[in-house]
Amino acid sequence: MGYKFNFADADRLFCNIFDKYDIYAPKKFPKQGRYSDTDIIKYAKINSINEIEFHIKSDYSAKEVLNPINETLFYFIENEFRESSAPKKPILLFARPCDINAIEIQSKIFEENGEFSDIYFTRIKNNLKFVLMDCNGGDDTCFCVSMNSNFTDNWAIAIKQLENEYLLSIKDSEFTSDFENCEQTDFSPEFVQQNTLSVNIKEIPNKEVLNKLKEHPFWLEYDKRCISCGSCTVSCPTCTCFTTRDIIYSENPKVGERKRVYASCQIEGFDQMAGQKEIRNKASERMRYKVLHKYHDYKERFKTKHMCVGCGRCIHRCPEAISIVSTLEKMNNAIDEILNKDIQE
Amino acid sequence: MNKDIDIKKLRLNCYRQSKEVGKFMLQMRVPGGFIDAKYLSIVQHIAQTYGDGNFHFGTRQTFNITGIPYENIPEVNKYLEQYIEEVETCLCDVNMNTIAGEEAYWEPQSGYPTIGARNITACIGNYHCICGNINTFELARKIESIIFPSHYHIKINISGCPNDCNKAHMCDFGIIGVARMEYHPERCIACGACVKACEKGATRVLSLNENLGRIEKDACCCVGCGECVRACPTSAWTRQETPFYRVIIGGRTGRQTPRAGKMFLNWATEDVILNTLKNWQKFSAYVMDNKPEYLHGGHLIDRAGYKKFKEIILDGVKLNPECLVAENIFWDETEYRSNFNVKPINLHK
Ligand code: SF4
Ligand code: SF4
Ligand code: SF4
Ligand code: SF4
Ligand code: SF4
Repeated sequence: MGYKFNFADADRLFCNIFDKYDIYAPKKFPKQGRYSDTDIIKYAKINSINEIEFHIKSDYSAKEVLNPINETLFYFIENEFRESSAPKKPILLFARPCDINAIEIQSKIFEENGEFSDIYFTRIKNNLKFVLMDCNGGDDTCFCVSMNSNFTDNWAIAIKQLENEYLLSIKDSEFTSDFENCEQTDFSPEFVQQNTLSVNIKEIPNKEVLNKLKEHPFWLEYDKRCISCGSCTVSCPTCTCFTTRDIIYSENPKVGERKRVYASCQIEGFDQMAGQKEIRNKASERMRYKVLHKYHDYKERFKTKHMCVGCGRCIHRCPEAISIVSTLEKMNNAIDEILNKDIQE
Repeated sequence: MNKDIDIKKLRLNCYRQSKEVGKFMLQMRVPGGFIDAKYLSIVQHIAQTYGDGNFHFGTRQTFNITGIPYENIPEVNKYLEQYIEEVETCLCDVNMNTIAGEEAYWEPQSGYPTIGARNITACIGNYHCICGNINTFELARKIESIIFPSHYHIKINISGCPNDCNKAHMCDFGIIGVARMEYHPERCIACGACVKACEKGATRVLSLNENLGRIEKDACCCVGCGECVRACPTSAWTRQETPFYRVIIGGRTGRQTPRAGKMFLNWATEDVILNTLKNWQKFSAYVMDNKPEYLHGGHLIDRAGYKKFKEIILDGVKLNPECLVAENIFWDETEYRSNFNVKPINLHK
């Protein structure tokens, strides 16, 4: 069962929820795009349901709400420190299926990778509920169906925006009373069954093939094409890498704050070690690292789905028009080539 | 060849005299150098029916049709009626029944009424270019109705960004689209890409403050190009919503004293640009005592002196708060002949 109400009534119906929750959703920022007179859609705290951009996929992902680009961990003065405080209110996060699946992957990295769980991530996640945004199949960079990320049942409310009205479905009884006087309809969320873009990911059968794949010349193309800007990883909902940075307010280096800030495996210096040595100092090597992480290493480690949810943002944001789907097709061909050679030998 | 032709009159009609007496080249205006491709068939038709079959991309982005015999000109002018109507009246909202803002009857089948205010040229701007800050041809179309028709000369070049592909520095009144930047420190990952981009492609005004993990900017010298925005992977740099403009005046080529123009206005809004240009006729009329001569804007500014120019051209113009105006301008000319300006006093203009 679901509900139906028009735009004008939305904020009145959500008013209790606005009181209790901070609501984050994709929002259009006019003319803030990379090129002039283009817009950017990014996550922001909203004050009205009608501010939300429902139809165009956001340029930046929902991860920014749980894992902000800059996040203060603690403040320090001499030998004392104080932890940054957690958000005061619980969060209601509007997201499409790919983004909800991606947050689960973020959670794997922040909470299940290694001995301890990251408190900064957990303190937000445990206080957060999802509003599932209806997705019509996205744009021509989306391939969530290929990545099995088109479906989720991790939501409290599901919403669909029509021309003048919203359709709502409620799974979490906490919210039922807010909408009980609305007109009822039989809305329940539908999930994308097909994207215009699709990809088949070949499994890498063994370490030997993996090693040959790493040496394969097809990667070298990216030395010429990729400018190592990091736009792909910043916008990627499943990239989690960060670096820590101490901010020093004045001449006294003992007073300041420790932040974590996104890092990108695509940007030069990502893996620079104390002795200045970099392991992957070519764009092709960094590209290989990213691609293998998304479509091999993560799955190897966690024995689940691949890391990539197929949201297509890395394709959409790349200023050099590099498509990760084409890269995967090239990788598939390289794997075939390696396997065929092995048979012949 | 025995011909009796009023060459000067034809020039005002946008037909240029050729080496061969009696053959002319038509210059069709294309404000901003951008137009529906369907008009190419009109150009082709004129060239093949009335001209010598050839076409030249005019250096001021006009459609130039060569080899039109004098006898064909009335026919060409009749044929031009539709083009002038669609481009000038409909697209640019030009009142063809005026000259320099004064009412003046124009016979629609008589071709272009004036040549003074030249075709406004523009780079492709942000309609296409990834560097562009403004839509150049839309601005050109707005300006067209202010400066045309007029016998007062002015060459206006518009560039979408400080890269200035369209040489705003080499004309009377050059306009460059600029943007004012906003920095969102909460999105900055201190990657330094903007610092590198500014250093490599612009003015080296950005630096990374390692202690604060933030970018610092020497704002006075930022040219407003937007290279930092393009380079930033996180949208920590964005352009402000309103576009701004830089005006470069007094640039010119020529046989005598070519020079690059100098900055007159910086961070002006579109209103300021349009209102400033509305004073162009008044300024020209003042310098030439209401008698248009074949003299370009840079020379007019020289005659009046920059301060007089500034006084008249900004008369009644309400400057936006960000707008900066040159207090003075010191030109830097190429003097093909040293002491070019030292001459008998009766030759002074
Ligand atoms: S790798 Fe690309 S398509 Fe996959 S989740 Fe990241 S941004 Fe989306
Ligand atoms: S966005 Fe494109 S150019 Fe930039 S690092 Fe990623 S793949 Fe390379
Ligand atoms: S001036 Fe700027 S906007 Fe115009 S074409 Fe050149 S780079 Fe592009
Ligand atoms: S807009 Fe300013 S800060 Fe940005 S690259 Fe250009 S000159 Fe540098
Ligand atoms: S490019 Fe963007 S993220 Fe990188 S340092 Fe500059 S403002 Fe910060």
